[in-house]
Amino acid sequence: MNARPPRALPALFFVLAAALALSSCSAVQTGADVLAAQGKISEADRDSLVRTTQALRSSFDDITEEEEYYIGRAVAANILSRYKPYDNAALTRYLNVMGTAIAYASDRPETYAGYRFLALDTDEVNAMAAPGGFVFVTTGLVKLCRDEETLAAILAHEIGHVAARHGLQSIRKSRLVDAFKVIGSEAAGRLDSAELTKLTTLFEGALGDVVATIVERGYDRKFEYEADALAVAISSSTGYSPAGLTDFLAAMDQTKPAGPATGWFKTHPSAADRLARARAAIDALASPPAKLDVRTARFAEAVKGMK
Amino acid sequence: MNKRMRLGALVLAVAAVFVLLYAETVVVKVKTTAVRKEPKFTSAVVANLQAGAALEKTAAKDGWFQVKTKAGAAGWVHSSAIDTKKFTLTAMDKTMKTEATAGEVALASKGFNKQVEDAYKARNAAADFAAVDRMEALKALAADIEAFLKRGRLGELGGAR
Repeated sequence: MNARPPRALPALFFVLAAALALSSCSAVQTGADVLAAQGKISEADRDSLVRTTQALRSSFDDITEEEEYYIGRAVAANILSRYKPYDNAALTRYLNVMGTAIAYASDRPETYAGYRFLALDTDEVNAMAAPGGFVFVTTGLVKLCRDEETLAAILAHEIGHVAARHGLQSIRKSRLVDAFKVIGSEAAGRLDSAELTKLTTLFEGALGDVVATIVERGYDRKFEYEADALAVAISSSTGYSPAGLTDFLAAMDQTKPAGPATGWFKTHPSAADRLARARAAIDALASPPAKLDVRTARFAEAVKGMK
Repeated sequence: MNKRMRLGALVLAVAAVFVLLYAETVVVKVKTTAVRKEPKFTSAVVANLQAGAALEKTAAKDGWFQVKTKAGAAGWVHSSAIDTKKFTLTAMDKTMKTEATAGEVALASKGFNKQVEDAYKARNAAADFAAVDRMEALKALAADIEAFLKRGRLGELGGAR
């Protein structure tokens, strides 16, 4: 019974110890720092450990919150070079208060720098979300909304894209792998100029992938369906009637332009197609909240200044 | 190969020592967050935290973690603000992959960062970062959100289901 070789004991200890570390996230980094500080491992060993961790990042899921934030900022900067913000302080405040309240009911209420919401001054009907939580709705879209539930459903859909990191998933994998390689090549300190140039080019490519997807081409339809399902869940758990989504999709189905598709119509699957799925998701809810006059009234107040 | 094995052994040793020194420690991954008295966003703030802050996690409930700060303040922080990537037994069999997710928080500043944004800006004058800065300044106030929810008879702000 005692046949276990004694040498296996230390290994067993390590495995158990690692299992105990279940809730520790940056164990290697912190542990490596601790050991280095105590002189138990050399600085070179510490850097080597840290470098290995960086070099082995490989997918969108390994992008840190801070990196996502910087990608999101650059995507937003590109969107804002194409569209002008709508200058209406009351509407802007309404969007940010409502949007943040809705984000709190999602499973990702906190992003690196938090969610922000902005109306874009264009008749084009569209809504977009950059990684990290920069959410845009066009005035053309807001004008199509008849009540707060409808607008809430649109914001919840965009928050769903952010929470599920859909934007980051449009970045070409090879770019990410190359970027992680550059980042991993330098364990400490600032990037040297050749590395910075290379990383900047990769950054440019990565956010170009995101802009092309959310502004021009549109997400894969499976992401749109997922964001709709999240919109139903998030808006109803905030306390809104999830019928806001179906009302909106029905309205979009009615307003579909005859000519070539632009904005929302170009980047989203057909409203009729989404409508059936959204209705099924709502039917599955046990007791969805109802619409409320007080919310419809304040929505009318918030949008009354719009041209 | 030898170097890889040496690294692997080192990682195991580090993980083991880490457990002895810092069991149950979790790290903040967002720029700023708050420890609240109750697990909901409308609850009173007990302490403000910044990225990289280490916390002792004592319990989990509905998407929130009960934590204690280094200064001794106790309360709740939402799990989306915390790096929850974990060591697992399976992952320990693939030591290198486990490491890949482990160093992220502390090293985030060496990825796509301010330095890279500045270099990008220099190349792309048309990208409107000033407008993004103005957008970031639009942060909704906690008191406004609470009043908005109350007036609209909306949810309890429990966060994730």
